[in-house]
Amino acid sequence: MSMNEEQFIKRDRMRFAKNTLSSGLALLAILFNVFYFVSIYKSDVGSYYYSIVIGASILYNLIFMLLVFLSSEGVKGYNVSYAYVLLAVGVLQIVRIFLLPVSAHAAVVTVNQQETIVMQTAQFIRVVVYLVASAVCCLVAGVVGIRKSRVLSAHMASLEQKVA
Amino acid sequence: MATLSLQHLDKIYDNKVQAVYDFNLDVKDGELIVLVGPSGCGKSTTLRMVAGLEDISAGHLLLDGKDITQTPAKDRDMAMVFQNYALYGHMTIYENMAFSLTLRKENPNVIHKKVLAAAEILGLTEQLNKKPAQLSGGQRQRVAMGRSIVRNPKVFLFDEPLSNLDAKLRGATRREILLLHKRLNATMLYVTHDQTEALTLADRIVCMSMGHVQQVGTPLELYDTPANLFVASFIGLPPMNFFHVTVQEDALVNETVRVPLTAQERQMLKAYAGKEIVLGVRPEDIVAGGEIMVKVFSNENLGMNTLVHGHLSGSAKAEDKITCKLRGWCDYSAGDMVPVTFVRKHFFDKDTTNAIRGEA
Repeated sequence: MSMNEEQFIKRDRMRFAKNTLSSGLALLAILFNVFYFVSIYKSDVGSYYYSIVIGASILYNLIFMLLVFLSSEGVKGYNVSYAYVLLAVGVLQIVRIFLLPVSAHAAVVTVNQQETIVMQTAQFIRVVVYLVASAVCCLVAGVVGIRKSRVLSAHMASLEQKVA
Repeated sequence: MATLSLQHLDKIYDNKVQAVYDFNLDVKDGELIVLVGPSGCGKSTTLRMVAGLEDISAGHLLLDGKDITQTPAKDRDMAMVFQNYALYGHMTIYENMAFSLTLRKENPNVIHKKVLAAAEILGLTEQLNKKPAQLSGGQRQRVAMGRSIVRNPKVFLFDEPLSNLDAKLRGATRREILLLHKRLNATMLYVTHDQTEALTLADRIVCMSMGHVQQVGTPLELYDTPANLFVASFIGLPPMNFFHVTVQEDALVNETVRVPLTAQERQMLKAYAGKEIVLGVRPEDIVAGGEIMVKVFSNENLGMNTLVHGHLSGSAKAEDKITCKLRGWCDYSAGDMVPVTFVRKHFFDKDTTNAIRGEA
């Protein structure tokens, strides 16, 4: 098999093989996000988390999971629109680091007449790692999705040209 | 491709039931052998022994001269197509066809080429992205065949692959299998209980009954010169008519009929003079006109032919029932007496049930 032929077959395989890499990465992003939101809330810091920001955060988590799950199915079938959605939510995951985790890490509350930091450094690092990992998965899934979709589109166009 | 040799194969189950007795067969390279027989005759068991899905109780199985009796199924280099397709419902057709090669960790590019080539042969190229549930029965069976083709096995094994299809699809898929065999020139073992499949597909047919091989031969040999009563009754549609008759000097007679013999037939039956034998006559070997009378009780017009069911000489006995396949459109009514002639006869020994060949 020549190099050209191998390249051609590799592209042609995409007609029948799903983009499992992007799809898998998207699902992994959901998993890291789950680790994030089960790690962030603590009950021993008074009423710090009882605010509209936390409500919005919970709502966003639900929307994130729904969007990324739908996108994982979309990119599996080389739908480029879903790849862009993954890029967008990947960027948002980075932005989220500077919202709740950073503010909770900087906040101090008084519990039982003792001042305590809402989010200790160890917890802060842990949730940041989860968000970064989730973001990276989304971004890579999006980039791979866009690249593969373009390759497949070009290949399909060349096949159609051949037939014509 | 390959030669296959089945030598004295026996299959005895743990409960001591013997399903196959002393099965002997040499399959030539590129030959399509059909194992045919009624349900429970041991044909599928034989195929499963060849595939390695059943242990061989006694005897030897040779593939290209190499003894593979104890070789595990996965190492036999044979592909089997099942009656129920055995496709993975959650995979696409492409993935189903590629599955066995993916398991073997073959190069994905090579797998791709093989799958596309097989799909092209079977006319499945447009269906590769679909799931099995989206295909018709015939297409699913083609996928099952495709899955075998991509493996490029030494021997193809088919276990009643058309049984789940309706009559029209069965005919079409049968023709496809025949074309496939011609195209691949592959060694194939095919099991069916449908004699039409056997007669149309086979290079040679193995007719089985109760675990015993009754006759091995070309379709024409089995049809024209059946070895015994079982083969004669099993091959041919409608089945052969049988009558117990006594051999007299110039005719076969019983209480209801007298069938004249030709000089050649008299010579053939010389050793049976005065003895009772079984006379076999195929419905299509009966023509209108002659001295044998048939009292009609039903008439089936098939267009080119008419199936006339009746009794010999108006007898009401069950053993005198006869079916005639007469040329053309006949409009007989129940009770009509139709004169017929037996243009070709088969003779069987009453005790051994073997065909009487004699010296013609």
